[in-house]
Amino acid sequence: MASIKLTINEQKVTARAGQTILEAAQEAGIDIPTLCHHPALKPIGACRVCLVEVSGQRALQPACTFPVAEGLEVQTESPKVVEARKFVLELIFSERNHFCMYCEMSGDCELQTLAYRYGLDHMIYPTYTERFPVDGTPPYFLLDHNRCVLCRRCVRVCSEVVAHHTLDLRQRGSATMVHADMDLPLGASSCISCGTCLDVCPTGALIDKRSAFMGREVETEIVKTICSQCSLGCGIEVVTRAGNLLRIQGDWGAPVNGGALCAMGRFEPLYDKRPRILAPLVRDRGKQEEAGWDRALQAAADRISGTDPDRLGVLASTHATNEALYLLGKLFGRELQTTRIGLLNASTPLLAAGSQGSLADVAESDCILVVSADPAKEQPVASFFVKRGVDGGAQLILVDAEETDLAPFAHVNVRASNIDEAVDRAQRSESPAVVYGAGVTDEVANTLAKLNGKAAFVGLQPGVNTRAAMTNGLENGLDPSCVEVLYVLVGEEDWDSDETMKQVREGTFLIVQASYASPLTERADVVLPMAVWSERSGTLTNTEGLVQEAHKATEPSGEARPDWEILSLLGEKLGKRLGGSLGEIAERASHQHH
Amino acid sequence: MAKVTVATDWLAACAGCHMSFLDIDERIVQLLELVEFTSSPVTDLKHPPEEGVTVGILTGAISNTHNVEVAKRMRERCKILIALGDCATFGGIVATRNLVRTQAALRRAYIESESTVDGLIPNSPELGVPLDHVSGVSDVVKVDLFIPGCPPSADAIFFALSELLAGHVPVVLPAEHFRYD
Repeated sequence: MASIKLTINEQKVTARAGQTILEAAQEAGIDIPTLCHHPALKPIGACRVCLVEVSGQRALQPACTFPVAEGLEVQTESPKVVEARKFVLELIFSERNHFCMYCEMSGDCELQTLAYRYGLDHMIYPTYTERFPVDGTPPYFLLDHNRCVLCRRCVRVCSEVVAHHTLDLRQRGSATMVHADMDLPLGASSCISCGTCLDVCPTGALIDKRSAFMGREVETEIVKTICSQCSLGCGIEVVTRAGNLLRIQGDWGAPVNGGALCAMGRFEPLYDKRPRILAPLVRDRGKQEEAGWDRALQAAADRISGTDPDRLGVLASTHATNEALYLLGKLFGRELQTTRIGLLNASTPLLAAGSQGSLADVAESDCILVVSADPAKEQPVASFFVKRGVDGGAQLILVDAEETDLAPFAHVNVRASNIDEAVDRAQRSESPAVVYGAGVTDEVANTLAKLNGKAAFVGLQPGVNTRAAMTNGLENGLDPSCVEVLYVLVGEEDWDSDETMKQVREGTFLIVQASYASPLTERADVVLPMAVWSERSGTLTNTEGLVQEAHKATEPSGEARPDWEILSLLGEKLGKRLGGSLGEIAERASHQHH
Repeated sequence: MAKVTVATDWLAACAGCHMSFLDIDERIVQLLELVEFTSSPVTDLKHPPEEGVTVGILTGAISNTHNVEVAKRMRERCKILIALGDCATFGGIVATRNLVRTQAALRRAYIESESTVDGLIPNSPELGVPLDHVSGVSDVVKVDLFIPGCPPSADAIFFALSELLAGHVPVVLPAEHFRYD
């Protein structure tokens, strides 16, 4: 790309054609203040805070939208610029309520930071007294119009990133208001509570209900990790204070989601009210009682080692880490030689191995087939990519998915029996994408195979870490009626165990590795308390096959331990040294995969 | 050299800004060598001397007619007027009353509150009459220096006074002495 030379504040800067003055300045380490600009969004030059002096231009120009050109001379902090910038800030402060002392964002607010930077010690316009509504109807956050500066970041992120188009503006000038749909309360609107707008709001207009007033950024710690709620593996930032979880926010640098999150990943884990298992439990003379780890593991190991491998069964949640799933396969499959290993979750077959695509390909596609999948419900962030594709002009064809929340965005709905029609349309397009789920039948898969080599195939795994479970050979079916000892790694899953347990024979010794109390743990002979997503480190393999590291953000509750550690300790009790540390286990697991 | 005279007063305020003023601690001894405090809630003298003072400091918002009188008298009797704290600067907490309107606020406080029996909105002719609109001091009189903060830090107050005493006018508050909350 052609390089362009310009000067910014007398500093010679080289930029690429198509860059804005702001981008060129940022790369050269020159700070131009912004307010409506956000790196993940298209610049619109709305707030005028980034005004700069540009040679040859009569008026000051917004740096966020002004393209670089050869020989431009730019001043970013000249007296004229500073005066204009203060004026712009004073105008922004002249509308709505910007009294900081009772605002949740005080200390972390971008508008406040700008006012400090430019020394605004008082308001030159009369105190604004109009009162605006506060919309508290969304379940997890609220929209306080009194704090809104109309930067449109929320509107843009709702359109450009989430592609849901719930938020928009109405009216003009000082009467302009952010609103949902046709001026509905957010809670009654099409809003999907993904909360991505919370992460981009520069002021206290959009705030998280749960963590409001619980700490400023300097008082909190942020751990970057991977969401463990579905198989996409979105990058998240877990915000904690003194060991307490405050909130989850999107990681804008994450490879999968690039900042966007969904309600399932951002909010729901923090509202989990299920009672935790806090100590190992062992059944003694018919009654469960608390036991130390040593006694509980010994009780489990004693029964396992005395059991014929053919009478030993394992059921595993695909929500566990790569390390735990590796250890499960290694310990029970290869060391103890049982073949009776099953998964709690279904899996999606890998179609068109030579034609694998990514979610980014879906957003760039011109014809998207969603086949037997419900991403809007199961992997919501994947549905953002589908909707972005639709915004980009793609035709959306739902195959056996007409009842899903993608339906309002679809151009064509077909039944699986008419898969030929969908495949024909895809073949006539330039860059089709196929997003499919666990419900794909062999017949449909065979027809879709015609698109092998042409379409980007993205399989959406139910569960979280199903790819890793498949790699570790944990797919064999399990007939629960055949076993005398059953080890269930249920983990954090809210699994309805009734059907399976009905088939288990009376007298079967049940060992359960779980985070939460449930009918299953009540019935168990040994319960091993497991750390939840925020309390353990490990790796996860996402639905695209990407292996990512998850990091612990808080200490485990009670005596709970990470999923892999429990299996490692059980291995030791059984005389199998499988690796003691996470690093050692991860190392062995990765060797096995390659 | 004659000492520089200072008068302070509070309008619709919580006294926090004066507390913060006293938080300059032992530096007040250093200050008193150069400064004479005349009227102030601290000295319990009510009115600035008729002959006037060099520096007048007002904390609190303009909330009633009495506040207007006090602010105007301070302005008449001082050369440099400082608005100290968020309330004096732009209305602060007191200005939240603007969002519910004055009459509704009075009714809620004196008649409708859960613990009130036979409530009565105070209406003695000796009291200032609440204004419809709460504002900062600068809506009523000219202000020379604003020190925002709820309250401003003792360091900010000491810095501003030191600068004034050194003749550095207008005083420019550096970033570390700036706060709005």
